[in-house]
Amino acid sequence: MGGGVLFRCVAAVLAALTLALPILGGPLSGSAVGISPYLANIIGQIATFALLAIALDLIWGFAGVLSLGHGLFFALGGYLVAMHMLKAGYVNQGIVPDLMTFMGWTELPAYWAGFEHFPYALALIVLLPGLVAFAYGWMSFRSRVSGVYFAIITQALTYVAMLLMFRNDTGFGGNNGMTGFASLVGLPMGAASTAVWLATASTAATLAAFLMCGRLVRSPFGRMLVAVRDDEARLRFLGYDPVWPKLAVWTLSGVLAAIAGALYVPQVGIINPRLLSPEVSIEIAVWVALGGRGTLSGAVIGAVVISALKFWLTGFAPDLWPFILSLLVLVVVVGLPNGLTDLRLPRPGRTRHGS
Amino acid sequence: MRLSRLLCLLAVLAAQPALADRAALTAALCAPVLSDQVAGLAALAEAGATGGRDEAEWARTVVAAVEARALRCTATGPVIGDGAATVDAATLAPLAEPADAAALPVNNRLRATAASAAAVLALFSEADPAARARAATALERRREALTLPILEAALAGETDAGVAGALGALRARMLLSDPDPQTRILAIAAIAADATLRNRTLIAEALGAETDPAVQAAGAEALAGIDRTLAAGRVLATLYSGLSYASVLLLAALGLAIIFGLMGVINLAQGEFIMIGAYAAWFVQTAIRAAAPGLLDWYLIAALPVSFLAAAAVGVAMESLVLRRLYDRPLMTLLATWAVSLLLINLVRVGIGTQNLEFHQPFYVSGGIPVLGDFILTLNRLFAIGVALAAFAGVVIVLRFTTFGMNMRAVAQNRAMAGAAGIDARRTDRMAIALGSGLAGLAGVALAPLYNVNPNMGAGFIVDSFMVVVLGGVGSLAGAVLASFGIGQINVVMEPIYGAVAAKVVVLLLVIAFIQRRPEGLFAPKGRR
Repeated sequence: MGGGVLFRCVAAVLAALTLALPILGGPLSGSAVGISPYLANIIGQIATFALLAIALDLIWGFAGVLSLGHGLFFALGGYLVAMHMLKAGYVNQGIVPDLMTFMGWTELPAYWAGFEHFPYALALIVLLPGLVAFAYGWMSFRSRVSGVYFAIITQALTYVAMLLMFRNDTGFGGNNGMTGFASLVGLPMGAASTAVWLATASTAATLAAFLMCGRLVRSPFGRMLVAVRDDEARLRFLGYDPVWPKLAVWTLSGVLAAIAGALYVPQVGIINPRLLSPEVSIEIAVWVALGGRGTLSGAVIGAVVISALKFWLTGFAPDLWPFILSLLVLVVVVGLPNGLTDLRLPRPGRTRHGS
Repeated sequence: MRLSRLLCLLAVLAAQPALADRAALTAALCAPVLSDQVAGLAALAEAGATGGRDEAEWARTVVAAVEARALRCTATGPVIGDGAATVDAATLAPLAEPADAAALPVNNRLRATAASAAAVLALFSEADPAARARAATALERRREALTLPILEAALAGETDAGVAGALGALRARMLLSDPDPQTRILAIAAIAADATLRNRTLIAEALGAETDPAVQAAGAEALAGIDRTLAAGRVLATLYSGLSYASVLLLAALGLAIIFGLMGVINLAQGEFIMIGAYAAWFVQTAIRAAAPGLLDWYLIAALPVSFLAAAAVGVAMESLVLRRLYDRPLMTLLATWAVSLLLINLVRVGIGTQNLEFHQPFYVSGGIPVLGDFILTLNRLFAIGVALAAFAGVVIVLRFTTFGMNMRAVAQNRAMAGAAGIDARRTDRMAIALGSGLAGLAGVALAPLYNVNPNMGAGFIVDSFMVVVLGGVGSLAGAVLASFGIGQINVVMEPIYGAVAAKVVVLLLVIAFIQRRPEGLFAPKGRR
């Protein structure tokens, strides 16, 4: 269940990246083995995608609950960190955010209060998505909404959030989103060293989440999750209440996705409501499906492979990408039910019926 | 023979007084007193309005001469022009240059009346509706030569709807400024009988300058009546547009519900099947335009079976290539159908382009029937509603009264048992997915005269159709109908008040709140969970 060779390999690569990035991207940048700030930035972005995939795999691969709305939590984290950076720039350096100019506001709405303080923003990045996930999960799991119903409603929720964010009067930048960030915790945006540090933070966070989730799914709690996935009715019959394990892991998954978003937005320097479009959320599920559900390393590999492919392809053939993505998905779901893990030599007695 | 001679004589006699009248009419223009000259111009306008087209054209020539200061007075009557071009104003016959001709002095008052008379005469002599419309506009400002009988005559003879509308409004204003309060009250009642926003503005304008209390009371009552009718019309219009949106939703959602009810597959490509239906309709239009342009108006009807089959074919292809292998993994079908939708969008985008398609609007989907106030029963929406109702009736008949329908219900209830009873479940699945996708194709045809048709059009419908299926319960027809009408109405009712986004938020929150109580939808089959 992920404690194998592959798990250790992925953990080792993530750890090596975390240690090597500050050195190769810092003093050694420009040398033969150095990493350019551009490459560091891409590594950092892909690391946040891997974190996002881990978050989804936790809930889909282990608890059997598919979310087509993880873009919501990702964007929540992104919007919160963007609000912090804009407000801090406004308060400390007097940089007027674009959305104030655009809306003709002389001050930011009341709910922006306190965002200039990093600890406050950090707390919200964890608490707010956690609260949203908890509230929605509590309502759904308690009334036993599951399967495709649950998936479709998460997608609708994300879609509605996108429509809301596209409005200019909600105070989150409307369709222009937020951009023009000055700095984050003292690191100036756009500087080479900032890109390297943000990438390092991303790989470190992904590594931490990977190790933590690895422990979690091997614990008795993880066994319980798998039991929920495989036969919820029997579990209930045996006297367990499946609502709380599901709710706990769903909330954890939402928080992890938000952290990924909060790391992603400073690296791309912009957030807009397109992050909430159904395609983004479904693409996350595609990463996990491709890598193989129920193995954390599979999720990481799926996210890395597909997003690296996307970075590479959109550079010279952006029109080609949707075709490749859709064909890839069809091949994987039809031919490789457990994703790329199916490509390994089949172990005797290892079968899995996913749902 | 004698009769025809008598008729000739009569004609001559009838023409003679007309000529004599013309002489008298023109002579009035050279009267010594200004007010007589003004009255002469007004009489010319009236003569043109009542005397037929020839009279109107003659009178127009004379009035134009006055306006151009080309009219000169002589002892024997006015003449037009000078030198060799001189003609008699009454007969327009050439004359020798008279010795005592003096140009008619034209002051502002005379010029204003002449302009008004010219506009009146243009109404009766111009063949071009645009020129008549300009004359009607000019009369709004210059009413010196305009009388109610003239206006009635112009209105009675008017063939162009736009000009008739302008003249009608002009008549209403004239009646409303009549010196007799009783006439004004009657005018208000007559105008208020046709309760439109335009007439409301007319009455409100007239009341602004009104002093007579009886007229004010009548006007206030008329305005209240119009307001009531307008409000009722607005409610009806909202319900109607909700109904048409709901019928499109119903078509899309029925297909979803059939596929989901039978196979547990949520088809995320259903929106793209709508798009394929609309594009098929466009191809039918192009084909008919090339092959038989005379039949172009009927392309929407011809497109109904074509779009159904086109979408059904894509649906069956998707089923046999992909879904067939995924029946035991319903969550994976979400990803698979999403990939199909992405593929379809991009194939159409690359193959045909991203621009909105141009659709010819046949006569049966353009215009509408005015019903109440400003509410018009637009035919394009009626077409969508009609297609949806017909398709729904067809689905009910297929499910209730055909062997295929019976097989489908049996497989949906218990697949293994149905198989044991000799029903080919695989074949039933394929036919069900053909039916479900075909319905989305029909939705595409119904949409074509109403919405923008482009590769991304499906995305706008998909979330709402899912809400219909979730709310309506699994594979339940009655549930799908109720849910689509509920969601359609909520969308349309909320939109003008709180905006389109708020409408979607409310629908979603309602659905989430609703499934707390009934997690399997409105009309879920009873059973233990």
